Amino acid sequence: MITKEAPPAAPAPARTTPEPPRPAKKRRAWDEAPRWQIYLPLGIYLVFTLIPFYWILLFALRPAGSTSLVPWPMTFVHFEKVWTDRSFGTFFYNSVLVGVATLVMTTLVALAGGYALARFDFKVKRAFMLALLCSQFVPGALLLVPLFEIFAELQMINSLGSVIIAETVFQLPLSIILISNFIKNVPYSLEEAAWVDGCNRFRAFRVVVLPLLRPGLIAVGSFAFVHSWNHFLFALMFLNNQEKQTIPVGLNTLMSADSVDLGALAAGGIIAAVPVVIVFAFIQKWLITGFSAGAVKG
Amino acid sequence: MKISILRNSRGGRRASAAVALGAVLALTATACGDDGGNSAGGDGDEGNGKGKIVFWDNNGGVRTEIWKEVIADFEKANPDIDVQYVGIASTEYQSKVDTAIQGGGLPDVGGISASMLAGFAAQDALDTLDFRLAKSPLNGKLNKDMIESMRAAGGGDDKLYSIPTSANNGVLYYRTDLFEKAGLEEPTTWDRFYEAAEKLTNKGKNEFGYTIRGGAGSIAQALDAMYGQSGITSFWDSSGKRTTVNDAKNVEALEKYAGLFKKVTPAADLNNDFTKMVAQWDSGTIGMLNHNLGSYQDHVKALTADKFRGIPQPIGPGGKRVQVSNPVDGVGLFKSSKNKEAAWKFIEFATSAESSSKFNESAGQVPAHADAAKDEWISKAEPTKLAAEALSDGSTTIVQLPYYLPDWNTISKADNEPNFQKVLLGKMSAKEFLDTMAEQLNEAQAEWQEQMS
Repeated sequence: MITKEAPPAAPAPARTTPEPPRPAKKRRAWDEAPRWQIYLPLGIYLVFTLIPFYWILLFALRPAGSTSLVPWPMTFVHFEKVWTDRSFGTFFYNSVLVGVATLVMTTLVALAGGYALARFDFKVKRAFMLALLCSQFVPGALLLVPLFEIFAELQMINSLGSVIIAETVFQLPLSIILISNFIKNVPYSLEEAAWVDGCNRFRAFRVVVLPLLRPGLIAVGSFAFVHSWNHFLFALMFLNNQEKQTIPVGLNTLMSADSVDLGALAAGGIIAAVPVVIVFAFIQKWLITGFSAGAVKG
Repeated sequence: MKISILRNSRGGRRASAAVALGAVLALTATACGDDGGNSAGGDGDEGNGKGKIVFWDNNGGVRTEIWKEVIADFEKANPDIDVQYVGIASTEYQSKVDTAIQGGGLPDVGGISASMLAGFAAQDALDTLDFRLAKSPLNGKLNKDMIESMRAAGGGDDKLYSIPTSANNGVLYYRTDLFEKAGLEEPTTWDRFYEAAEKLTNKGKNEFGYTIRGGAGSIAQALDAMYGQSGITSFWDSSGKRTTVNDAKNVEALEKYAGLFKKVTPAADLNNDFTKMVAQWDSGTIGMLNHNLGSYQDHVKALTADKFRGIPQPIGPGGKRVQVSNPVDGVGLFKSSKNKEAAWKFIEFATSAESSSKFNESAGQVPAHADAAKDEWISKAEPTKLAAEALSDGSTTIVQLPYYLPDWNTISKADNEPNFQKVLLGKMSAKEFLDTMAEQLNEAQAEWQEQMS
């Protein structure tokens, strides 16, 4: 139901007279505040934030039964236990598979959907956007039984594919909205210029628009990866084979009804957290740029 | 030229937009299907006693290794049957089974404890096992009390839906080193318990006499302490319609017990679930802890066996010990199984003397099989030995909690755990708390009796 293309952004009015030079900024009160007034609250905040992480490290690295407040003598026995005896090696591999596949599928489909929403006008566009937004209000748990039945019909229960599809489906609405905002921020005239130079629509998109979407793609991709990495419910419900379980489900089995191995639980928690920490360490610059850019309409 | 072609290529634009949106809608649609009919699998089939069966463990993780050992033994003895083990965390088991009951995909055999039996039986998901047990060599070999407990928990039709594997029991763990240092006697009575809790507390040094369970699971522990002190031996009065939880003696007992909070316990106990409570006891300086046999190995690892003991609950008035029931654990056969003969063979094997002994030695629980309960390892695991004795020598009266009520889990958790926290904080009186719970229980019991009649 495409009716017309979205009109290109109106050109900015030409500036007639240069703005007068601004007076030098007056130093604000907090610029002159003693350093400790800045670092002390930050330090306190950091302590509160980091103590739980230190506690996890402590339990993971000190021997069982130790009450020492430093991880010494240091042991890696808990890591060995969860990685080999409790199959965390397999869970880790499965989680990576689910995370990467969700990232790729979400990004590709969101790019296609986002482009359509940004560049074309069609009759039900507003309703479609509203439906996308509304789908965010439905908790995954509510759809478990229908999803379970669908995947059972498709013979996909006990397959990582079911988790990947379910994760992708739940990531898509937000991702499409984000990507469509990013694409709207790319001037339409750039694409038109590429067409003048002989590109077709796909090539113009690939060569001109796609490189400008890098912050958005990183934001959407990392969000999809981290969410599917941490998500517990779908893997728990759709996967019955121990060999196919993911990290969050594995972590859950480290606590039994009456007993808990805290060393193993902490080691498992660190194994689960490391990839997410690494992902964020590498992409934080792009992530922040991506989210802020997507938030402003061009 | 090319621009005009592209700009005027309405069909092309439509096609690309349709493909893009179609892909999105196709994926989104998978989340919007209706729930269809019940595909739990119907009445299943006896099968030919061979092939593959699936077993869901209701307490997967810690018990995975021992179950795999039992399964390996079974497959060796029955080379025609292949058992697929699926370990599921205890906290998620009920929701996973409930989803599979609605959506299909139930296993052949599953761990079914008394606490979740009523819900599954009410959904008609389990096969009755009476006739199979009657023809089995297990008949007469399983602990009668555990069998009765399973029957009672089944929902009131007096049928057996789960073959018991083991019983857990409430244990009072205490630090022998701290008791010795303080010159205290073993806390075998409630008076000694309160005395020790007070004397072992030195808040300035972060030392406490007791750790109370204020978070998840607090109600069962509070009920245990309450009935233990009051000496009331039944959960219902003689009419079977009104609960005894708000009896004046129980109110008095709960007031005294809740009064321990912050006086002899850490303030953080308000949110204690068993994980925090056990971790706190294992790594801190706390005199006593109420939990069950399941955490014994954790204490051995953390404290070593010579620093603590685990004894049955203290003796109450008149020299009588009263405890509330702990859910009996067992294995059940799902109605939808297409291979019931093979599944029953596995259940028989898993609850046999040899497997029961092996499994319970690892889990530190009391075996359901009479022959396994006589094995040597029991005398070496002191808390298990004492619990087995307490459950069988007539010294202990068990108050059976109403696991058969479909609303029991809601009443004993979501409805009343926040109120118990209010009692600990002094924002609600013990009487008000127990009256509220009694009202809910009486109502649930009346509904259940009406359904049964």
